[in-house]
Amino acid sequence: MKSISENLIIKLKIKDIIKKFDETAVLKDVNLEVNEKDFIVILGPSGCGKTTLLRIIAGLENQNSGEVFIENNNVSKVPPQDRNISMVFQNYGLYPHLTVKQNLEYPLKINKIKNRDQIIKKWATKVKIEELLARYPRQLSGGQRQRVALGRSLVRNPKLFLMDEPLSNLDASLRLEMRSEIKHLHEELGTTIIYVTHDQIEAMTLATRIVLMNKGIIEQVGTPKELYSAPKNIFVGSFIGSPPMNFIPGKIKNGTFNSDQIQSFNVSINTEADVILGIRPDDLHIGDNNSYDFKAELYASEFLGEGYLITFNLGNSKLLLKSQKNIEFKTKERIPILIDKNKFLLFDYNSKKRIY
Amino acid sequence: MSVNYLIKKIMSYFFILLFAVWCLFPIYWLLSTSLKTNLQTNSKPPVFIFKPILDNYKLIIQDFDIWHIFFNSLIIASGTTFFSLFFGVPAAYALAKFKFKGNTDFSFWILTTRMAPPIAMLIPFYVMYNKLGILDTHIGLILAHISLNLSLVVWIMRGFFEDLPKDIEESSYIDGASYFSTFYRISLPISRNGIVAVGILCFLFSWNEFLMALILTDDSAKTVPVGISKFVGFQLIKWAELAASAIFMIMPIFIFLVFFQKQLIKGLTMGAIK
Repeated sequence: MKSISENLIIKLKIKDIIKKFDETAVLKDVNLEVNEKDFIVILGPSGCGKTTLLRIIAGLENQNSGEVFIENNNVSKVPPQDRNISMVFQNYGLYPHLTVKQNLEYPLKINKIKNRDQIIKKWATKVKIEELLARYPRQLSGGQRQRVALGRSLVRNPKLFLMDEPLSNLDASLRLEMRSEIKHLHEELGTTIIYVTHDQIEAMTLATRIVLMNKGIIEQVGTPKELYSAPKNIFVGSFIGSPPMNFIPGKIKNGTFNSDQIQSFNVSINTEADVILGIRPDDLHIGDNNSYDFKAELYASEFLGEGYLITFNLGNSKLLLKSQKNIEFKTKERIPILIDKNKFLLFDYNSKKRIY
Repeated sequence: MSVNYLIKKIMSYFFILLFAVWCLFPIYWLLSTSLKTNLQTNSKPPVFIFKPILDNYKLIIQDFDIWHIFFNSLIIASGTTFFSLFFGVPAAYALAKFKFKGNTDFSFWILTTRMAPPIAMLIPFYVMYNKLGILDTHIGLILAHISLNLSLVVWIMRGFFEDLPKDIEESSYIDGASYFSTFYRISLPISRNGIVAVGILCFLFSWNEFLMALILTDDSAKTVPVGISKFVGFQLIKWAELAASAIFMIMPIFIFLVFFQKQLIKGLTMGAIK
């Protein structure tokens, strides 16, 4: 993890933001600080308020209370025109009656920037659209439109780049390509980007820090690694990681974890509590009949290329296991499974917070 | 291609043809009547084969001074269209984009101005115009026509602007453009099909309008519909001259529609952007 040194400027600060639509609160007291050169990905399920938060940062939406600071200036009441930011929209937001060149020129013209042709040429080359300058947006493919939108957001050299699910309208292979290009641009230009997505893989690969939101609050802010290996609560644990984490309810008593479904084992925690054990599919292993933590009924096995994803029935729930080798067992057979004792997590049953 | 498909195709073309004949026959009738003598126009059964004459056109151009009323109509319809769009389009934009208190009430009030039958407004109009001294003037009739057209412009354009994709305008704001600049540089150009369509409707309305023109104009600002009504006499109707003048009347609209057909169809059916 890159440590954030003292002399980096705080680019964006969000303080106590509350936003309601009619009576429904979509953002409940959100606080966030973004440093220079951060690539912040705001991640969360649909309806969690992530796009609303981005629109408040942009000034396209007014918060009910709270403040937004860009480079230490309070812009809470400043209209989007005067915030000196740029934004890439999910549907690109290109001007349909202008050519690609005119689209790129528009922000420069509006802001009365000189040497426009030179600037356009530079950025068009950077996002690989120099061949398309004479075309209209309707004559472009989805990927090309995305490049134009990206180019238009870059020409003006703004303080902040906002991106609202910019890749979600692209097909899978194009998404992969654009993802690496965005990452490359960020590293090459050292820009500060705030990026909204519901796709956790996008978040994991792009972000320097992820802001995971749920139901209008920020659940956790941290590097992708922190969110993956040290989730603050069950929501973070279940949302980050694909395939998702497995959860097994149980109890801790006298330093052992007890559950109906699996054999008790020692844990180095002394409280007595109802807990939920969290374990990632990579940290479960196929055992043998002499050493195992529990046995579960085989449900399905799927070939993933680099390995197999095996689903089991455990009690009433499903359990996922990732394995290098396939198991040629018949379905309904009970398979011995081992838990990696260095990797499991424990969550408090009531508060859903991680306790171990 | 099955036989079924062929029959379907033939049937559909047959009905399209039938509809076309139904639409075009009055125009054919008008044209042929304008080329007949007055005697031929009254013959029963009607004559379909005759030697066309241009006397009626000569008559309306030389004796009747059709150009005078033609240009009156042109000025009034153009003026009405221009000012209705000039005031109506920005109003529609404001009502579509800015949610202020009383927005919907205000929009509805604009619509209600169209609900009263024009004849109910005619006497007040006449009295006011008389006092203002704008009876029988171009500007007078333009004002009256604007008052009837504005609600149409505002309502059609409001719907049009509401359908514009939000992120296009938001992109413009973020790019630093003011609300007015965005309206002028982005929203207006991408709505041009709608504006052309509404403009044509305005023009048509004003060009064809009879009642207001009849009462509010006399001679110097008289329009074509009022002018040609003079052929409907107390004892006889001069069908041939009437038809020739009517051809004059539909000509500019016809030319207009030939040129702007594409925009009109797009504007009225498709909305702004696919």
